Amino acid sequence: MVDVTDHELVPEHEILDEEVLEEVLGEYDIDRTDLPKIKRLDPAIPDGAEVGDVVKVTRDSRTTDRAVVYRLVVE
Amino acid sequence: MSTDQSPKEIGSLSFGLMNPEEYREMSATKVITADTYDDDGFPIDMGLMDPRLGVIDPGLECKTCGKHSGSCNGHFGHIELAAPVIHVGFSKLIRRLLRGTCRECSRLCLTEDEASEFRSQLERTRQLGEDLNDVTKSAIRQARKQDRCPHCGEEQFDIQHEKPTTYYEVQDVLHSEYSEMVAAAMEGRPVPQMDEDPESTEREPMPPQDLSEETGIEVSRINEILSGEFRPKEDMRKRIETALDIDLTEEDMNKLMASDIRDWFEDIPDEDIETLGIDPAKSRPEWIILTVLPVPPVTARPSITLDNGQRSEDDLTHKLVDIIRINQRFMENREAGAPQLIIEDLWELLQYHVTTFMDNEISGTPPARHRSGRPLKTLSQRLKGKEGRFRGSLSGKRVNFSARTVISPDPTLSLNEVGVPERVASEMTQTMNVNERNLDDARRYVANGPEGHPGANYVRRPDGRRLKVTEKNCEELAEKVEPGWEVARHLIDGDIVIFNRQPSLHRMSIMAHEVVVMPYKTFRLNTTVCPPYNADFDGDEMNMHALQNEEARAEARVLMRVQEQILSPRFGENIIGAIQDHISGTYLLTHENPRFNETQALDLLRATAIDELPAPDGELSKTSQADGGADGEPYWTGRTVFSELLPDGLELEFTSSAGDTVLIEDGQLTEGTIDEDAVGAFGGEIVDTICKLHSNTRARQFVNEVATLAMRSIMHFGFSIAIDDESIEPEAEAQIDEAVENAEERVQELISTYDAGELESLPGRTVDETLEMKIMQTLGQARDSAGDIAEEYFQDDNPAVIMARSGARGSMLNLTQMAGCVGQQAVRGERINRGYEGRTLSHYLPDDLSADAHGFVENSYRSGLTPREFFFHAMGGREGLVDTAVRTSKSGYLQRRLINALSELETQYDGTVRDTSDNIVQFEFGEDSTSPVEVSSDADNDIDVEAITERVLDEEFADESEKAEFLSREAVETNISEHQDSWKTGRTAGVGTEVESDD
Ligand SMILES: [Mg+2]
Ligand SMILES: [Zn+2]
Ligand SMILES: [Zn+2]
Repeated sequence: MVDVTDHELVPEHEILDEEVLEEVLGEYDIDRTDLPKIKRLDPAIPDGAEVGDVVKVTRDSRTTDRAVVYRLVVE
Repeated sequence: MSTDQSPKEIGSLSFGLMNPEEYREMSATKVITADTYDDDGFPIDMGLMDPRLGVIDPGLECKTCGKHSGSCNGHFGHIELAAPVIHVGFSKLIRRLLRGTCRECSRLCLTEDEASEFRSQLERTRQLGEDLNDVTKSAIRQARKQDRCPHCGEEQFDIQHEKPTTYYEVQDVLHSEYSEMVAAAMEGRPVPQMDEDPESTEREPMPPQDLSEETGIEVSRINEILSGEFRPKEDMRKRIETALDIDLTEEDMNKLMASDIRDWFEDIPDEDIETLGIDPAKSRPEWIILTVLPVPPVTARPSITLDNGQRSEDDLTHKLVDIIRINQRFMENREAGAPQLIIEDLWELLQYHVTTFMDNEISGTPPARHRSGRPLKTLSQRLKGKEGRFRGSLSGKRVNFSARTVISPDPTLSLNEVGVPERVASEMTQTMNVNERNLDDARRYVANGPEGHPGANYVRRPDGRRLKVTEKNCEELAEKVEPGWEVARHLIDGDIVIFNRQPSLHRMSIMAHEVVVMPYKTFRLNTTVCPPYNADFDGDEMNMHALQNEEARAEARVLMRVQEQILSPRFGENIIGAIQDHISGTYLLTHENPRFNETQALDLLRATAIDELPAPDGELSKTSQADGGADGEPYWTGRTVFSELLPDGLELEFTSSAGDTVLIEDGQLTEGTIDEDAVGAFGGEIVDTICKLHSNTRARQFVNEVATLAMRSIMHFGFSIAIDDESIEPEAEAQIDEAVENAEERVQELISTYDAGELESLPGRTVDETLEMKIMQTLGQARDSAGDIAEEYFQDDNPAVIMARSGARGSMLNLTQMAGCVGQQAVRGERINRGYEGRTLSHYLPDDLSADAHGFVENSYRSGLTPREFFFHAMGGREGLVDTAVRTSKSGYLQRRLINALSELETQYDGTVRDTSDNIVQFEFGEDSTSPVEVSSDADNDIDVEAITERVLDEEFADESEKAEFLSREAVETNISEHQDSWKTGRTAGVGTEVESDD
C-alpha cells in the first residue's frame, strides 16, 4: 500500500512530547481542546498517535517559508 | 442608554425545564375563568385579563407591583390543568426517554459499565464543544437493543410515536382468532390471517396425538385450545407455533396516557438522566409533562380597542380561552363520573389546545383558526422565521435616522462625498451640545425652524425636557437656547454618514461619506465608488444612516471613510479607480500624446488642484501641424498634462492593457498609455502604488483628479458611438463571407468523410463526438478569422476599438460579433441539438449535420440575423440568463453560510485567530500575520529588508565610521521601569503594584 506520509504534498506530522505540549499550551494560554482537531485515522499522522495526543504539523507556506500548526488527535 | 432604564441586568442565562412548583410560585394569580371583561368593561378577577397580570391601559396601577403601564413588565399567571398534557416541543425527547428506560423500574437499560462509558464520552464531547446529541443518541440506541431490563429483568417493548403527541407500546399478544388458526393448521387447511394466498399454500394435516407428542401438551389441553376455552401461555404458544409452523401473535398497540408517562419519568433516577446529557439539578424529565400551564402576562398579549369601541383580543388570549374552557369541561365531566371514552376525548382536546398554544404549525395537526379562518399566531409563530422575534426584532430591525432613495451620478463630488437631498438632510438630525462657542450657530439653526435648511427639529433643555421646534415657535425658542441645551440640528455639509447598497457582500458595501446637501430627490455619488458598491444608475436605491454619537462618528471617519477602503482586502489591490469613460478619456489623452495649447491645457486641468502649468514641451510650428495651432505658440503634451496629477518622485514601470510599456520617472509620465491597467478600479497600478507608497489621502486626491481630467479630456476630443462605427468596407465583408464559406465547406467535407465511415476518432472519443468536436473547432476558427479580418479594417480611432483596447468597456470579441460574424450558438457547451426528432427545426432535413442546421450564425449583429439564426441565438441567450439567475441565488446562499460560519472569528493580540469559545483557527493570521492590503501587489517583488536597512542606515549616518560604531554597539538595557522583568514573566513583583481594573 502507498504510504501517504512519503508524498511531497503531505507535510510533516510529529507527535508532541508532553513537556513541549505544555509549553505550547502555555504560550497560547489554552486547553488542548481549544486546538484544531485531526482524526485519529487520518493517514497523515504518525503511527501510534492516540486520541488526546497533539501532533505538530510543519508545512510549506506560500507567505512564510514554514508554518507550524498544532492539532489535537480526536476519535 | 444607561442601565437603569432596562428592567433587569442579565447576569447569566440557563436553559432547562421548569418545575411546575416554580410556575406556581412565580404566578401572580391562578386563572380559572375563560372570561376577560365584565359587562362594565372591567377585567374579571382570576380571568385572563386579571389586573394582577400587569397593566396595559395608561393611568391604571398594576395590582402586583404597583407600577404604571410602561414601567410594569407584566406578571405571569397560571392554569392548573385538570389532567397532565405533553409539551410538544419535547416530543422527540419523550420518545427517546421511553425507548431507553425500563417500563417497570424506569432505569436506563444500560449496564453500569456501558453507562459510565457514555458518561465519559459525554464529558469528552462537552470539552471538545461538539454536539452532545450524537452521544445521547447512541446511548439510547444501545439501550433500545436490550429485550429485557438489565436491572429488574422486565421485558421491554417497542415504543411507537404517532406525531405529534401520541405514544404507543407495541406488544405481541395472542391472536384473537388463535383457536381457529390452530384448528386450520391441524386440518391442513390454509390458516386464516396468515396464509395470504390460500390456493398455493400446502399444509400437512396433524392430528391431536401427533401434536401432543411433538409439543408435550396433553391432548385434552389441545382440545380446550381448539374450543377456545384455554389461552396458551407464551411458552406453550411457542411450542405450538414451531410444531405447526404458524404465528399465533398479533401486535397490540397500547396507548400511553400522559399521566402514565409522567409516572414513568418520575421514577428515572438522577444518575441515569445524567448519562443522557440532562442536568438533573436543573431539569427533571417528568416536568416535560405539563400539569400547570403558565399564562403569559397581558403585556405580552395586549388587547386592542377598535374604532367602534369593541375590544379585540390577541391570538394568545383566544387560545388560552379555549384551554380554560376545555379544562373546565374536563373537570366537570370527571366529577360527574362521565364514561371513560368521553373523558379520553376531552383529554385529547385539551392536549390539542395546549399543543397549538405552543406551536400552531405542526404537521399532521390541523392549525387552530380564528373565526375568519385565519390560522392563529401562537408562541412558536412569534419567534420563528424571517419576521419572527429573533430574525425580525433582535438581529435586525428598522432604525431611526436612516433614509433610502434612488442614486444618481455626480462627477463634481469627491469620492468621499455623498449628495444628500435637502428633504433627507432636514429629517436626519445630529445632536449639538450647546456651549458658549457654538451658541450662535445653535440659535441660528433653531431660528431656521424645522423646514428651513439648515434648521433644527428638536431641542432638549438641561432639565431633560424635549421640545419640538415648529415653524411657529422657532424664533421664540431660538432666543431661549443657552449653553447646556441640546439641539437636534439638520445634516449639513461635512457631516459624516454611513452609506450602503444591498446586497452587502463585502466590507466595502458599507462605507462612510461626507454629506453635501443638494437639491432634488436622489442621493448623488462620484462614479468611481460604483465598483465597491456594485452600483449603477438604472434605478438602484441606497441606504443612508446618520450617526448619533461622537464615538460612532469618529470611528466612521477614521475606519470607514471611502478613501480608507480604496484597497480591497479581497485581493490586496485598489477597488476604487477610474471606470468606463474615465479610462477612455485618459487613453485619448495619453495614447498618441496629443498637443494642447495653453488654453486647452488649462481647461483640461481646471477642475483639479493644479493652477499653474509646467514648462511647455515645445512650440507649435507651421511645418509639423496637424494641431492647427498658430505658429510659435507653446504646447503641452497629454502625458505632461497627466503627469501634473502624479506625486513627485513616483517611479513606475509596467505594461498597459493597450500593450505598450508605461514609464513613470520622478512623477513624470515619459512613455506609454494610461488606461485600465494604470488607473482602473480592480488593480490599476498607479492608484495601487500611490495608495501603498504615499497615503490613502493622496490616492483619493489622485483618483478624484484623474476622473475630472479624464472627463475634461473626453469632452475635448468628443466621444460617441453609433451603428456606423461597426460597419466595414465591402472588400472586408467579402473576405469575411469567403472565410465563413470556406469553413462551411470544410464542415461539409468532414460530414461526407463521416458519412463514408472514414472519419478517424480522436483518442477516447467516439466517431460522433469526434465529428462534433471537429465541426465546432472549424466554426470557431471561422469566427476568429472573421474577427481578425474585421479588426484589420477598423481604424485606430474607432470608438469601440478605443474602448476595447483601453479596457474601458467591451472587448474585441463584442466587436467581432457586431461587425464580422456572431458565430456558433451553444446550449450546454454543445451545438444546438434539441427540438424535433433528428433535427433542430422543421426547416431542415432529419440528420442534417451542417453548420447552419445546428445554430451557427454566420451573420453579424449589424447585418442582422435570419429568423432561424435569431431563434438559435435566443436559445443560447436563454441558457445564459437561466445560468446567471441560478448562480446568483446559489452563490448568495453559500456566501450567507460562509459568513455565518466565519463571522465570529477574531484575530487576537497574540496573533492567533480564534472563535468566541477560544478555539484556535489559525496560529498566526494568514500564516504571516500580514494584512493583504499592506503587501506589495507585485508578485515577484518581495520586500527587500536588507535594502531598506541599508537605506535607513545611509540616511542616518553621515560617514562610515559612525555607522560602523553604531552597528558594533551592544544593546544597552532600557530602563523604562523597575518592574520590567516582572512584565516579561507576567508575574507581579510585590504587594501594591497590582493594577486595579476599573470596571
Ligand atoms: Mg442596477
Ligand atoms: Zn406589575
Ligand atoms: Zn427495569
